Amino acid sequence: MLSMVDMRTDVEIMLKDIGMTYKTSTNTDVTALTNVTMNIHKGEFVSLLGPSGCGKTTLLRIIADLLTPTVGEISVGGESPREARLKRKYGIVFQGAVLYDWRTVKKNVMLPLEIMHLPKKDCEERADKMLEMVGLKDFAKHYPRQLSGGMQQRVGIARALAIQPEILLMDEPFSALDEFTREKLHEDLLRIWRKTNKTIVFVTHNIQESVFLSDRVCVLSPHPGRISALIDIDLPRPRTVEIKSTPEFTGYVAQIRSSFEGI
Amino acid sequence: MKVLKRIINSKYFMVVLWTVLIVTIWEIFAFIVQYTKRTPVNVLPHLSGILESILSTKTINGSQTALQMVLVNAGATLSRAGIGFLIGTALGFVLALLMNLSGTVEKVAFPYLMLIQMIPVLGMAPIILALTGDIGTSRTVIAAILTFYPVATNTLAGFKGVQKEKHELMYSYAASKFQVYVKTLIPACLPSFFTGMKIAAPMAVTASILVDTLQGGIGLGCLLSQSLKGAMTRYVFWQIVLLSAIVGILSFVLIGAIEKKVCPYNQKTKG
Repeated sequence: MLSMVDMRTDVEIMLKDIGMTYKTSTNTDVTALTNVTMNIHKGEFVSLLGPSGCGKTTLLRIIADLLTPTVGEISVGGESPREARLKRKYGIVFQGAVLYDWRTVKKNVMLPLEIMHLPKKDCEERADKMLEMVGLKDFAKHYPRQLSGGMQQRVGIARALAIQPEILLMDEPFSALDEFTREKLHEDLLRIWRKTNKTIVFVTHNIQESVFLSDRVCVLSPHPGRISALIDIDLPRPRTVEIKSTPEFTGYVAQIRSSFEGI
Repeated sequence: MKVLKRIINSKYFMVVLWTVLIVTIWEIFAFIVQYTKRTPVNVLPHLSGILESILSTKTINGSQTALQMVLVNAGATLSRAGIGFLIGTALGFVLALLMNLSGTVEKVAFPYLMLIQMIPVLGMAPIILALTGDIGTSRTVIAAILTFYPVATNTLAGFKGVQKEKHELMYSYAASKFQVYVKTLIPACLPSFFTGMKIAAPMAVTASILVDTLQGGIGLGCLLSQSLKGAMTRYVFWQIVLLSAIVGILSFVLIGAIEKKVCPYNQKTKG
């Protein structure tokens, strides 16, 4: 099974025997991740699912070159995470929107483009396009504090996609939102994903969310953080909220729930 | 009821209320003082007396009225305080920047900063005067030294308070250090920077007046001590007290207005 996966040529992110060990203040080793091996393919939507302490965010941060693994091999877009970052191959969305409150919505989306030294006209055009895609065209001149939480997170997504990365890394982006807003953003995210063909790595602790969104759910268990299951979600696309009441959907949720170990 | 609510919520209501309150309290105490103390003007004169002295056309030193004297001396003191304040603010900002750029600079500079802050102004004044050799310059330098500390510490706190995720975001964009500062850290620290300025402004003014009293020459403080010693009408003293209070409030309001202009996003308006 594993060898079949390895034979695919469209690997976007390759993780092989990744391990991460922290030293705590009392000088004891804590294993945050061990033996993480998986490939994420181009255009795939993969969720990293697990309870707190399972290392899912650590894994995302390793892919983003925000952390360096203690052991193991990793490549992002065929390169080291560092090279991938320097070439701006990924966009990242955090749990909070992390918007710049002194910049308007549009200027927030333009921020990474300014850093890339794009001509001002291109910055503006691209920002307008991104805001239209996330449905915030009319709010371009607003300041972040004037927006709801869901709208702020849309701006965060627009900003991450503005640099036209191949990969979108999302760290529990919707966990602070209410259920209704979250469901709306789920559908929007899937629409944007279909339109832009990005590879998405999505960290969450919400089982339903991971099943609804993903092609594949990577179930992580804690102590030490490790992959306890990789589950293909074979539900038809495009998906709408109605799918959540089908037996197939609830079957996947039950299967994932039973696959956690050692909590 | 509606009209009452609109009046209470209006911008000017607080100002009016505040003024009325302070005048009332002042006058109540002035009346008490008038009947209990032998020289009420030394303790707390009536506001009308101060107003009268301000409007008086009687010259007190042969050529100038009381108000003219106060204003001329105020000009000298406030310009020294103002220039010192601006220099101190600029230096404070640059030092905060350097301390944030290098942990070594922070570790080396911070104890000295604390030390300078702990030396009493009155102890510092003769040293600075001996170093600069000029009364005017030395007072400007003292105002700068006093401004420097609150601006530097507040700005540094502003830099350090920037969300970890903002740093990570800039890192993910492969931003240069220069870009991190220009795009993220400096705009983010502005509210703290202005807080430092608001703390420093009245300090610069009061320190300038204090050093005046010590060293003589031209300045509000010299006038203050002359008036206290009885060399001229005691109302000059009260005029200076009033003027200093007004200048203190104005500096606060002015910095607040500049802050609003520079950081419009801080306003609590919903669009």
